[in-house]
Amino acid sequence: MFISQIELPLYLKMKFRLLILCFLTIHFTPSYGQEKVYYNQTELGVLYGNGADDWSGESKNRIDFSVISFHGAKISKHHVIGFSVGFDQYESLSVIPFAIGWRGFLGNESKPQLIGGFDFGGGSPLFEDKEKTDWYESWYSGGVLVSPSIGVKLPAKKGKTSLSMSLAYKRQGLGFFMGYFDRGDNPRPLASSNLPPGYSSMTETSYLFHSLVARIGLMF
Amino acid sequence: MKTNGLLPLILILVFSGTFLSCQDEITTTYTYRAMVPVYLEMSDVRARTIVIEPGQELENPGKIYLYGNYLLINEPQEGIHILDNSNPSSPVNLNFIPIEGNVDLTVNNNMLYADNYVDLLVFDISNIRAIKQVERVKDVFNHMYSNSDTGVILTFKDSVINSESDQPIMGGGFWAMDSFASFSANFSGAAQSYGQGGSMARFTLMSGHLYAVDNYSLRVFDVNDPAKPKHLQNIDLGWGIETIFPFKEKLFIGSNTGMHIYDASKPSNPKKMSVFQHLRACDPVVVNEKFAFVTLRNGTNCWNGVNELQVVDIENLREPKLVKAYPMLNPHGLALSGDHLYVAEGQHGLKSFNVADVMGIDQNQLEFLKSMKSVDIIPGPKSLIVIGPDGVCQFDYSTPGKLKPLSCIDVKNPVIV
Repeated sequence: MFISQIELPLYLKMKFRLLILCFLTIHFTPSYGQEKVYYNQTELGVLYGNGADDWSGESKNRIDFSVISFHGAKISKHHVIGFSVGFDQYESLSVIPFAIGWRGFLGNESKPQLIGGFDFGGGSPLFEDKEKTDWYESWYSGGVLVSPSIGVKLPAKKGKTSLSMSLAYKRQGLGFFMGYFDRGDNPRPLASSNLPPGYSSMTETSYLFHSLVARIGLMF
Repeated sequence: MKTNGLLPLILILVFSGTFLSCQDEITTTYTYRAMVPVYLEMSDVRARTIVIEPGQELENPGKIYLYGNYLLINEPQEGIHILDNSNPSSPVNLNFIPIEGNVDLTVNNNMLYADNYVDLLVFDISNIRAIKQVERVKDVFNHMYSNSDTGVILTFKDSVINSESDQPIMGGGFWAMDSFASFSANFSGAAQSYGQGGSMARFTLMSGHLYAVDNYSLRVFDVNDPAKPKHLQNIDLGWGIETIFPFKEKLFIGSNTGMHIYDASKPSNPKKMSVFQHLRACDPVVVNEKFAFVTLRNGTNCWNGVNELQVVDIENLREPKLVKAYPMLNPHGLALSGDHLYVAEGQHGLKSFNVADVMGIDQNQLEFLKSMKSVDIIPGPKSLIVIGPDGVCQFDYSTPGKLKPLSCIDVKNPVIV
C-alpha cells in the first residue's frame, strides 16, 4: 500500500523487487561459498525527538521504541545492499517503516568496524484504524522515510555473529485526514470549493518527525 | 577501498548537524465552509453599469419564477438567468442579468423587479433580446445597511476558508469550528430559499402591489405603474419571516414560529388577521379555499423543529385551526394544483398526494420519486417545475399521479448528499 503512496521511481521499484528476489534466494539457499553473502542486522532501541511546539509555544521531547531488521546481500567486501522493515512508535502512533538500504564497512573484518548506512523508503501506519461514524471519518496515511546511520560492529570472539550499535537520524513523514460530513444542512456546494463533495469541514495534518535513533543489536 | 573511510565521517557530520537543529513539524490545514462578512459601499455598487450577458450555465440556482414562456432562475448574490421555456422539454438558456446581491425576483407586466442589496431594480424585459434597466428604487431594503449614513452595507459571502496552523487541532476545536460552520449554513439557508411562484418566495405581487418580506418585516410597494415602483411602508412581523404566499386578497406569511394571515383587500395597507402558532420550524405555505398546507421542517435555522405536513382549516381566517398533521421526511417547498399536492422532500425526493380528503392524505400518496431531490415546485401551465440541488427539472403532470419527465437543466456543481 505505502509503496504506491510514496511514488518510488520505476527504476527503484524494479531494483527493490530484484533485491527481494535476491534476498529470498539467498536466505533459503544454503551458501557454499567461502564468503557468506547474506547479511542480517537486527537492532532495537529508542527513538528520540523534539516535539512540535504546542499552543503555548512549548515543546516536549518524545522517547519511543524502535526496531529495525535489515536483510541484505554483500555486493563487495565493504558494501551490503538490501532492505529493512521494522516498527517505530511516535507517541501514540505506530508506524511500520519499510525501506531499501545500504551498509558500508570500514576496517578489518576481524576487528571492530565502523558501519555507515542509508535507508530510503516509506512508513505505513498499518495499525492505525480508519474511523468512520455518522458524523465524520478519519484516517492516517503513510509518508516518506529517510534514514542515514552510523555504527560500530563488534565481532564476537567465536562465530560469525557480531554485536552492533548504531546511531541514526530518521526523517518520517505521515498524514492525517479528518472530514466532517455535510449532513444536508448546506443546501448547495460552492462553485470554487476546496472541500471535497460531501464534507462540511476537513482537517489535513501533515507530520514530519525528525528523530535520533540509538540502537543495539546483532548482525551476522 | 580508501574512499569508504570517508563515508561514515560524512554521515556523522550530516546527521548530527541536521538533527541538532531539528524539531518535529506539524502542519494542519483546516478547510471549512463559512459566511464571511463583506462590506460594500452602495455608491460603488450603484456606479457599476449592469450589462446583460449571454446565457450562462447554472451554478447554484436559487429562486425560480415562471413568466409566460420565460423561466427566470436566480443565482443567489449573482444575478438572474433567463430561459425560453416555450417548450418545457427543451428550455433554451437565453441570457443572464448580473445583479450583485440579488436574491429575489418577480415580474409585473414585462417589468422584472429584482433586489440589488438595499435597492430595488426594475428591468424592462418586453424585448428579451434587449433588456434595459429602467429604474432603481433606492434604500428600500435598508436593513442591510451596517451604516446608513455612510452607505456601507454588510453582506455575507458563502465561502470555503482555508486556515493553516503549525499545531494539530484537537477534539474541542473541531466542534467549535463545526458549529461555526453550521451557523453559516443558517445564513445560506435564509438567503437561498427558492422560487417565486413557488412556495418559498419572499417577493410576491397582488392587486397592483409588490410585497417583499425580509427576516422581520413586510415591505409594500405600489406597482400600478409597473416601471415606477413606489415604496409605501414597512410592516413589522416579528423575527423569522421566511415566505409569502398570496391568495384571494390575503397574504399568507410563513415564519419559523407560525403562519401569519394578512388581509390585503386594501392593498396598500395590509392588516393582520391572525397568527397560527406552531413549534419553531421552517415552513412554507400553500393555500386553497378551505385549507392551508404548511410544511414544517427541521433544519439548521429551524432547530427544535419537526418534519411534518400540517393541514390548517382557514375557513375562518381570524381563527385558523389545525386539522391534522402528517409526518414527513424533510419537507421543503410544496405546490398545490387542484386536489393534488406536491411536496419537495429535500434530499429524500418528491412526493405527490391527492388531498381531496384532508383527513386521509397519508393514505392517498400517489407517487414518491426518491431520485428527484427537490426544494421547491411551481405548478406551471405547461409543466411542473421542480428545483433541487442537482438542477431544475420539468415534468408533464397532466396525469397528476404519474409524473412524466420532460427535461432537466443540470447545475455545474451538483451537491452530493
